[in-house]
Amino acid sequence: MTTAVIGSVAQRRFSDIVPPLLDDAYTLAKWICRNSADAEDIVQEAAIRALKALETTAIDRPKPWFLTIVRNAAISWMAKNRPKDLSYAGDAADLDSIDPRLGEFAPDPEQALIAFEDGERLRRAIAGLPSPLLETLIMRDVNGLSYRDIAEATGAPMGTVMSRLARARASLMKTLKAEP
Amino acid sequence: MNDPTSDDRILRLNAAIDGELDASSWLELEREMGADPALAAEYRRLEALRASMARLAPREPAPKTLADRIAALGAPVAQAAPMPVSRPAWSGARILALAASVAVIAFATGAGLTALRQSATPGVAAGLVSDFARASIAGQPYDVGSSDRHTVKPWLAGRTTVSAAIVDLAAQGFPLSGGRIAIVDRIPAPTLVYRHNEHLVAVTELPPGSEGARAGGSIQTIDGYHVARWSDANLAYVAVSDMDEETLAEFVAAFRQAEKPASEAPAK
Repeated sequence: MTTAVIGSVAQRRFSDIVPPLLDDAYTLAKWICRNSADAEDIVQEAAIRALKALETTAIDRPKPWFLTIVRNAAISWMAKNRPKDLSYAGDAADLDSIDPRLGEFAPDPEQALIAFEDGERLRRAIAGLPSPLLETLIMRDVNGLSYRDIAEATGAPMGTVMSRLARARASLMKTLKAEP
Repeated sequence: MNDPTSDDRILRLNAAIDGELDASSWLELEREMGADPALAAEYRRLEALRASMARLAPREPAPKTLADRIAALGAPVAQAAPMPVSRPAWSGARILALAASVAVIAFATGAGLTALRQSATPGVAAGLVSDFARASIAGQPYDVGSSDRHTVKPWLAGRTTVSAAIVDLAAQGFPLSGGRIAIVDRIPAPTLVYRHNEHLVAVTELPPGSEGARAGGSIQTIDGYHVARWSDANLAYVAVSDMDEETLAEFVAAFRQAEKPASEAPAK
């Protein structure tokens, strides 16, 4: 028995592009909203947006394109459902207070290296980052996007992306070092 | 002597471990690290942090439930049991055109194809039923959620060529929930979503004389959803709902009554 299946152009594009990016999308959404059930809803919402967009557009570089949609869906979801956890508006001063310079520059990095080995502490430290630093770090280190792609996805200039990454990493090192 | 903690050097260290440094900047940085153990140590720490993240905070596999839902969005597979086949009301050209314009067209196994129920224009209603099913399953029955006509109308007006008739039926037990766009014959058509208890009804408004238009108030059933069609002087309407048939009939009556210009309303 045969099954005739005819999908729309958008569905064909969608099936080529989105399923291979699902792990990236889910991980990004989960970090931004810090909750796995919500991350599923966000990715589904993003997928629906993507399907709609694909009705009229062909995509050259799927990964940054789809992750941008996921990121935007996650941010609007947070703004709607948990605005307090979304440190975005009005916190420029807070961000600036995170100094990318460690200050000490201890020649012996042994202690820091040991602290990095504790996965639970590391994940907690990442989750504690302000949203703009967190999303930048995840897009870079987990999703592997380039600085330029992250700048486009977050609507921030390249220089801001670079400084956010430096601040995110400095903040992680500081947290891991400070905790007992 | 350079300040080893200067912002610029930190940014360059980060760019180096991210592979974003060009060859000459990289050589320059290596030279600086050779002369400054503190800078070299910072580089090793950043590298160690990055390696730890890769190992301890890796990309996670998406849950299967999510993967299935996403696959379903892209795969036009029959979701319901095959419908009874009354007759093969099938026109290849029409079906292909529709497949390109609606999101989900399903051909059931068994019969080889699913004949849509005895209607002169089966495709439009079936497409709208698929839209309705997809929107309900996705938990996103509308693109703009609002009970305020004055919010929904301009949103729809900006996206369609049909000027939507939006009536307020809250008093009759059918509050407006929102609006979305359906694609019918490649044309965006305004769709209003009303709620009744936990049920929804989606009214798609089409230009008069379009393929989906058909006068008469009879209600048919497609894939377990009820579909009512009617038209007036200005527009043709297709309402798809998971309400029972009687409630949908009530809704249609209320909609038609409310939508009539004041002059046509029966005098009290």
